[in-house]
Amino acid sequence: MTGTPNHLPAVAAGSGLNVEALRFAYSGTPILLDIDLSIAEGEFVCLLGPSGCGKTTLLRLLAGLEAANSGALSWNGAPITGPSLERGVVFQDYSLFPWMTLTQNITLALKKSHPEMSARWRQNLAEEYLEMVGLAASARQHPSTLSGGMQQRGAIARTLALGSPVLLMDEPFGALDPINRAKLQDLVLDVWSNPRKTVVFVTHDVEEAIYLADRVVMLGSAPGRIIQELRIPFTRPRVRRALVGSPEFIFLREQIDERFRQDILQRIDADTVMAGGGEGI
Amino acid sequence: MAAISSVANPALQAGCLRTRGGGAVRRARWWGLRGKEGILFLLGLLLVWQFISTGISFAGRYLFPSPVVTFKTLWISLPELFTGTLHSFQILVPSMALAVLLGIVWGLLVGTTPALNRMFSPFARFASPVPPTIYIPYAIALLPTFRTAAGFVVFVGVFWPVFLNTVTGAASMPQRYRDNARILGLGKLEYLWRVVLPASLPHIFSGISVGLVFAFIMLTVAELFGASSGLGRFIQLYADYADYPRMVAGIIYTGVIVLLSMELLEQIKKRLLFWQK
Repeated sequence: MTGTPNHLPAVAAGSGLNVEALRFAYSGTPILLDIDLSIAEGEFVCLLGPSGCGKTTLLRLLAGLEAANSGALSWNGAPITGPSLERGVVFQDYSLFPWMTLTQNITLALKKSHPEMSARWRQNLAEEYLEMVGLAASARQHPSTLSGGMQQRGAIARTLALGSPVLLMDEPFGALDPINRAKLQDLVLDVWSNPRKTVVFVTHDVEEAIYLADRVVMLGSAPGRIIQELRIPFTRPRVRRALVGSPEFIFLREQIDERFRQDILQRIDADTVMAGGGEGI
Repeated sequence: MAAISSVANPALQAGCLRTRGGGAVRRARWWGLRGKEGILFLLGLLLVWQFISTGISFAGRYLFPSPVVTFKTLWISLPELFTGTLHSFQILVPSMALAVLLGIVWGLLVGTTPALNRMFSPFARFASPVPPTIYIPYAIALLPTFRTAAGFVVFVGVFWPVFLNTVTGAASMPQRYRDNARILGLGKLEYLWRVVLPASLPHIFSGISVGLVFAFIMLTVAELFGASSGLGRFIQLYADYADYPRMVAGIIYTGVIVLLSMELLEQIKKRLLFWQK
């Protein structure tokens, strides 16, 4: 826990996001098994794991888009029963409606978060949010005319417009080129700290997780379960140039890779034992 | 059209950019002609027509007025045909508009509400495949005027394809749109109007295209039965008088009107669906 001045380490019971003994199955196939997870208010957590580990499902459960088979999810003590403006979501792609301009997409969100304000006011605020993510010049454009990176900037602006204290992001930069990816990672760190939000960020990219997170939660697959949690000790603001490639960074990355390797080997062994048992019959 | 819209509405620029530089192609497509093959075929058809009507001698030749005679007759008949078109459209446009409106509204509701779907589907399955021409004699007997009867059968012909396609569009809407609407906390009405309707528009337009063809079929057939004026009436009238040049002219004219209507619909569709990739 060296040098984490931005942390809120001691968490009062019931505050933040809480997941207890969560199970989720899809038509009989277990997707998530016995998930226990506490995320402090203001914490930046990355859910890291290979495809098929259920990390997206876990995020959808946190968003209230899916219902758990058993177990409990809550935000600041209140059970999560459905989607709420308190928890904004950025999906991998297609978060924006293609038939609306960027501004229209955001004013639609503002209509929900600020129903008492005038259309003119919402319009102005939408443009402010777009400026914040560097899209002021594209305010009147439709998503299909924009690059993937710009679309994700728009999606982030829309989520900010909702004013949600919780940001749930589902591999938002998975389809972007490395340069845009890095720029948007820094944008997310910016918007996360001002004003401070709770972020759950799903990714399969180890470096992305280490660079962004206070804590990396590693999920193994088939069925999805938490195999390890790792605090990322780097101070903030983080400087990409100095951090990525530093011995500490590489050490963390190898630790994470090694843990996933172990998990894969364990799963293979377990399958072999089961197959061996089957052959005897 | 494209140039005007891109100036008036910057939102449409994207749609126009994609078609820019293809002016000749666009014009050719406008007439349903792609390249010289289409024109050659039409010329060939005219030649065959000319040959049948003047080149050979047979008993039924009076049934085949020559192209020159037909197009002259068409020119002379234009005022009468134009009046007929107006009368036809006075029935067609309101009935079709009502059918499109109700088909979309009811389709969106049925497509997004499982209970309504269970309630209405059995009836729709039974009623929608009935060829609407079947209703014409009954509609004429049942309804007080020819106009209401013709309007009714046009309505039936347009309603089903629009309704069924809207249901398909609403029901097959990508999950991501619903997720986004739920995340934003949209109410039912806003969800239907701002999400489901635009997302279903590609399907809705296929329904309207089919409906438009049906509308013309229903109307002209109905007019054969009992109209005093209109496109179908024009053809029926001159068939009764054995005036075949006028009859063939009427058929060609009707074809052009249907083609123009389809093209108008296509242009509306392009504008509304500019956002499609």
